[in-house]
Amino acid sequence: MVEISIESLTKHYGTLVALDNVSLKVASGEVFGLLGPNGAGKSTLLKTLVGILRPTSGTIRIGQIDIVGSPEKAKRMIGYLPENPSLYTGLTTQEFLQFVGKIRGVADDVLDQEISESLKSFMLDEKRNSLVGTLSKGMKQKVALIATSLHTPQVLVLDEPLTALDPKTRVSVKDWIGGQTKRGVTTILSTHDLDVAQTHAGRIAIIDHGKIVAVGDIESLRKMANTESDARLEDVFLRLTEEKGEEPA
Amino acid sequence: MSLAGPLGTIGVLMRYWVKGRFTKATIIGLCVGEAFAVIFTLFGSSTYLSFSNRVGLTAGLSEVAGSLILALYLVGLIQSGFNGGGLPVSSSDVDYVFTSPVPPREVFAAKVLLNSLTTVLFGFPPIIVLYLRFSAYYHTPMTAAILAGLVTLVFLVIGLLLSADITLSLGRGIGERKKLWRNLFIILVLVLSLLPITLLIPGIPVEIAEVTRVLPNGLAAIVSVGLVSGTPGGVDYLIDLLLLFAWLGGFLILGVRMARGHFYELLEVSAPGTEKFDQPNQESRLDPRGKSIWSIVRLKEKILISRTREARALFINAMFLSGFLIIYALSGSFQSSPTSFLFILFIIGSFGSGTASRWIEKERLWILKSSPVSMRRYVKEVYRARVAPLLLYLVPVTVAVGVPLILSQLSTPALLLGVVLALPGALEIAGITMAGGMYFASRYGQSSADDILSSQAQELADIRRFLFQTVINLIMVSPIILLVLVSEALAKIIGSGALPMLAVGLVLVSVAFTGLSINLLLNKAGSAITRREDL
Repeated sequence: MVEISIESLTKHYGTLVALDNVSLKVASGEVFGLLGPNGAGKSTLLKTLVGILRPTSGTIRIGQIDIVGSPEKAKRMIGYLPENPSLYTGLTTQEFLQFVGKIRGVADDVLDQEISESLKSFMLDEKRNSLVGTLSKGMKQKVALIATSLHTPQVLVLDEPLTALDPKTRVSVKDWIGGQTKRGVTTILSTHDLDVAQTHAGRIAIIDHGKIVAVGDIESLRKMANTESDARLEDVFLRLTEEKGEEPA
Repeated sequence: MSLAGPLGTIGVLMRYWVKGRFTKATIIGLCVGEAFAVIFTLFGSSTYLSFSNRVGLTAGLSEVAGSLILALYLVGLIQSGFNGGGLPVSSSDVDYVFTSPVPPREVFAAKVLLNSLTTVLFGFPPIIVLYLRFSAYYHTPMTAAILAGLVTLVFLVIGLLLSADITLSLGRGIGERKKLWRNLFIILVLVLSLLPITLLIPGIPVEIAEVTRVLPNGLAAIVSVGLVSGTPGGVDYLIDLLLLFAWLGGFLILGVRMARGHFYELLEVSAPGTEKFDQPNQESRLDPRGKSIWSIVRLKEKILISRTREARALFINAMFLSGFLIIYALSGSFQSSPTSFLFILFIIGSFGSGTASRWIEKERLWILKSSPVSMRRYVKEVYRARVAPLLLYLVPVTVAVGVPLILSQLSTPALLLGVVLALPGALEIAGITMAGGMYFASRYGQSSADDILSSQAQELADIRRFLFQTVINLIMVSPIILLVLVSEALAKIIGSGALPMLAVGLVLVSVAFTGLSINLLLNKAGSAITRREDL
């Protein structure tokens, strides 16, 4: 069980401030939702969290490990799914998963069993020898999800895992997220799907213009947004991001 | 439609494509590319002419060389045609043009016209420079150079039409036999184009070379080189020109006829990550049991090379190169001197950066950068995997060209040193330019769905990459070139007795230099990936 601690995180791209003094704590085993309009800084935050981008300042700890100081150790604990995962289209599904498993340090005897079970649970068993480039978008997303969890990570970072998926695939991805939660995996989930955030996430952070504008469970977010007690997350989100948007630049 | 007939529609389509294609960045890129092409043409033609002057090459041999170069262009377009790339289309064409009520024939006409116009426009400066250099050498009038350039440009358009026709023909009876037809076609063009070089081998009948006159590349080369070299041709040139225009007209009529029906499904959309594979299912070849991470990385790379068109492209190029160099070397035309060795160094060495340009990893870097693997080591392993097939193809070529050279120069030890240095030198240059290409791909590599760099900024980054890559690669390989150039003088100073020791020593020095250079470039490539922010 691992907790995530982000302190005073800032990320600049030249003069653009993508993340501005972001601080968050995600408890071990918690599912944490990240909401925000397009370009708010969600993907930058997640990429920095998994060590793809280097922070301009601030610290990120996965358990006790600093992602900048000991990236290799931290990355062994993380499973990351990007918004638009691009896979090696010239490899078969099995080869792709074997490759990813190997570079993430999965033992040979465990890897084959893990791949077989995951392919079965996602009903991709008969696509084992199909080239990834010939799979449908939904199938590729499932393959990417399997790749994310092959090394049984203690932390999952999922960037828009349900974008542009058909209803059937959405259900299987939601089930998969639920399964990971039951296993006690600490999960950060960025999504535009407010229902998913409301259903799966214990707490939600709303990010806008690179700043966290609100954090809490749905009840406390409603209070922060001064909405009614039964207000939908969508109304809460709109109110909080509108208020931020009205501030002078 | 409210447009003024087919011509109006074609005009609208062309304007739309021109606006979409020529941003500020692409115009800068094209100007830079043109400048480089002109410089390269001047350098290449001057080297070739001084070489031919020294060894007494005839204009007829230049026609052969020209025909072969044009044949390479033709082979590339034939390949592209069979792969569905005869009429290049983007996904926005599919979304907006193909769903519009514009008749397919008008789309075909607009595509062919635009491709021909851009090819003529951007091919004109280097081609004219090439023929002006030739006409200055042969003391022929400038008009001859311009006419020769125009003939070559007509050939380029013929190539584009042929490629488009092949793509359009894919749905008309060739179907399953596509691969066989493609290979037969390419082999036929290569064999016919290589025939004239047999003239260099004593005892081969002259008539064989005449066969190439039926092909557009042979016709274009004979007329163009003939005009600038002042070779009297008269009626023969007229017949050749008529034949060339017959090819042009034939391909055009064929294309227009085939474009009557719906052909959009035959075209390959150029978009990243949309490779076509011959077989959707493959036997798994990446068994990780008992293998290290790095051997799996190399194996992955080898599988990717073998399943894409990369290996095929490299093989065809190497086959063509080896055929050309072997016959050329057998003919005895390669005289041992630093100038002719430069030819070997550049021709063989240039394969390195070409191989590196096919390494496109950017979209998949999330897999690697979110894993605990070292990027420096990863790049080195990818290099190892990719340099192996490159050397597999280039070593036989180098040996084939080297053996006759060494045998012919056994009596002149001073020149032999140059040969001994140039042969591994060519492979070393290929190795260094490949590492250089990978470094620049790592630093500025192509991106697609990019929320940080705009597409125009990415294009500018690609231009920077091209410029820096060319300059840095030239600097990196200059010690090897220099060593070859000074070899003759060095051998004379040292004396023949110490030559074997000197040769071994210099080869070891150049191998060590190559190793260090490659290591440096790959370390920088790994660091560049680690630092990349546009993922």
